[in-house]
Amino acid sequence: MRRATVAIATVGLAYMILAPLTSIDAAQQAGLPLLTDKVWFRIATTVAMFVVLASAWNIVGGLTGYASFGNIAFFGLGAYTVGVLVGIRNWPFGLALLIAPLVAALFALMVGVPLLRLRGHYFAVATLGVGVATGEVVNNLGPLGASTGLYLPIVRSDLLFFYLMLVAAALAVLTTWVILRTRFGYGLLAIRENEEAAAVIGVNTNFYKVAAFCIAAALSGIAGGIFAQWNSFINQELVFAVSDNVQMILMAVIGGAGTVLGPVAGAVVLELIIQTLAGGGSGSVYSQIGLGVLLAVCVIFIPRGVIDFFGGRSRLSLRYLRETLRETSA
Amino acid sequence: MSQFIQQVILGLLLGGVYVAVALGFSLVWGILNIVNLAHGALVIVGAYITWLLFTRWHIDPFITLPVDALALFVIGYALQRGVINRLIRAPLLFTFLLTFGINLVIVSLLLLIFTGDFRSVTPSYSGSGLELGSVTIPYIRVAGLTVALVLAGILWAILNRTRTGAAILAVGADRDAAQLVGVDLRHMYALTFAIGAAFAGVAGGIITTFQSIAPTAGDPYTLQAFAVVILGGLGRVSATVVGGLAFGLIEVLGQSAPGLSSGYANAIAFVVLVVVLVVRPRGLLGRLA
Repeated sequence: MRRATVAIATVGLAYMILAPLTSIDAAQQAGLPLLTDKVWFRIATTVAMFVVLASAWNIVGGLTGYASFGNIAFFGLGAYTVGVLVGIRNWPFGLALLIAPLVAALFALMVGVPLLRLRGHYFAVATLGVGVATGEVVNNLGPLGASTGLYLPIVRSDLLFFYLMLVAAALAVLTTWVILRTRFGYGLLAIRENEEAAAVIGVNTNFYKVAAFCIAAALSGIAGGIFAQWNSFINQELVFAVSDNVQMILMAVIGGAGTVLGPVAGAVVLELIIQTLAGGGSGSVYSQIGLGVLLAVCVIFIPRGVIDFFGGRSRLSLRYLRETLRETSA
Repeated sequence: MSQFIQQVILGLLLGGVYVAVALGFSLVWGILNIVNLAHGALVIVGAYITWLLFTRWHIDPFITLPVDALALFVIGYALQRGVINRLIRAPLLFTFLLTFGINLVIVSLLLLIFTGDFRSVTPSYSGSGLELGSVTIPYIRVAGLTVALVLAGILWAILNRTRTGAAILAVGADRDAAQLVGVDLRHMYALTFAIGAAFAGVAGGIITTFQSIAPTAGDPYTLQAFAVVILGGLGRVSATVVGGLAFGLIEVLGQSAPGLSSGYANAIAFVVLVVVLVVRPRGLLGRLA
């Protein structure tokens, strides 16, 4: 199973990265699938965006064990930073994109220090609160466009944003990989497993937690910044949506929280399912019902994520499902 | 000055609504350790039931409240026993996600059945109130507050004066020990959730009397229930009552503060929440978790 997966993934990745470089018209005439189609381009860029978000969440939620429901605030702040700098003050996009993660990380530092003292439910609820409140404050501030939102000068280039998001996604995955190979990563895992014990053996828990939070914020901020220019329009509903936060959590969890490639697998699988269910319009009622049911099923039957099957440890079978169920049922 | 008194009275009356909404939420959180993100949806289901009965058969909303309670009791029992029980022993994150999924499904189903149009219930006594000088006390809101306090009393009586209530508290205190003395866990979990849902249903009936409803109108209530429970504290009915009233006051007084407007409702709720969590995590009246 593992060899086959690696082979398919490599081929798929190569195709994804190289295909867009060929002329889209020629490819379309030749009838090549996927990346020659504008719609699929958007979907692929969205997938890449969620890879960044899910990986970023994974650093705080999966590696450190602090399930944050407010990460969307970092995405939104990154988006609004670019939105204000480029849309209102006419700064160059590249410069704004460098500032976005800094703003997000700074915000994470400010809220992280008090919030990371909380655990479990309380942390989740508090971060949910931060996410909602930040969105609301931004929605009420006149200079930021208030409820009408912000417009950015339109840049028509699907190719550019696809590659930008891809780079951001690669950065996010690479960051997770690097973290897991350093003392910092071990420290985070220790905090997840038993925070008191970690503190006792000398892990500076406060510093590590806040650092992880800031790194996740920076990554989310970059994704937000790219999104702002890509979409040319942002408002509270688009970039501060709690349902997006739940989506990124779900992706990290069904993919496999705490692993490097888990969020990637989860983002790809889930986003494709969502786009199929939506049939073009992601707001349709049936797609919401589908998402809700999917959420319930995944959380009940595959809590460790699909990455469990690709690592060679388990096979998707009735027995696996039954055992998982028995572990968590009343 | 009378402006201020008016605000305080409105705040307390609003607080009554929050008490009603938060009672069920607090019960489920305190005993089952489940933060029910679908609580607002359950409230709205109750609201729709009341609306249906009022519109079709002209039944006064306050008389429909027991019907709401019964219907939501059944729904809640089925939901817990069938679905949520599967995740009782799983880490907290998963129940969070599960209840969020349930919320999505319920709201979407309501959208399908009732569409997104706003519906309202307007009994004949809607607008009138007691006038004391320049201060008005709307009758409907007083009735709402009264129902809320009665509900709190009923919950307290169930928990502290019946065997079933004792079993529920036992499950909340130590689930394995409760099982050892013969409590049927699965049934007790379902029963607790059902009671919580029933209270949510009644709260839904109350809110139809002063606001129009739509399928998505329940989400703000879930978030506000959080704030109320954290403000008041877990573990006691009185904590939820105090939390609800205090929260109502904070919201009304906060919105009339200079520089803020009603658009900041959620933001105010969460500033309160975060401040309480950082400064006094167990809330005003809660016991240490």
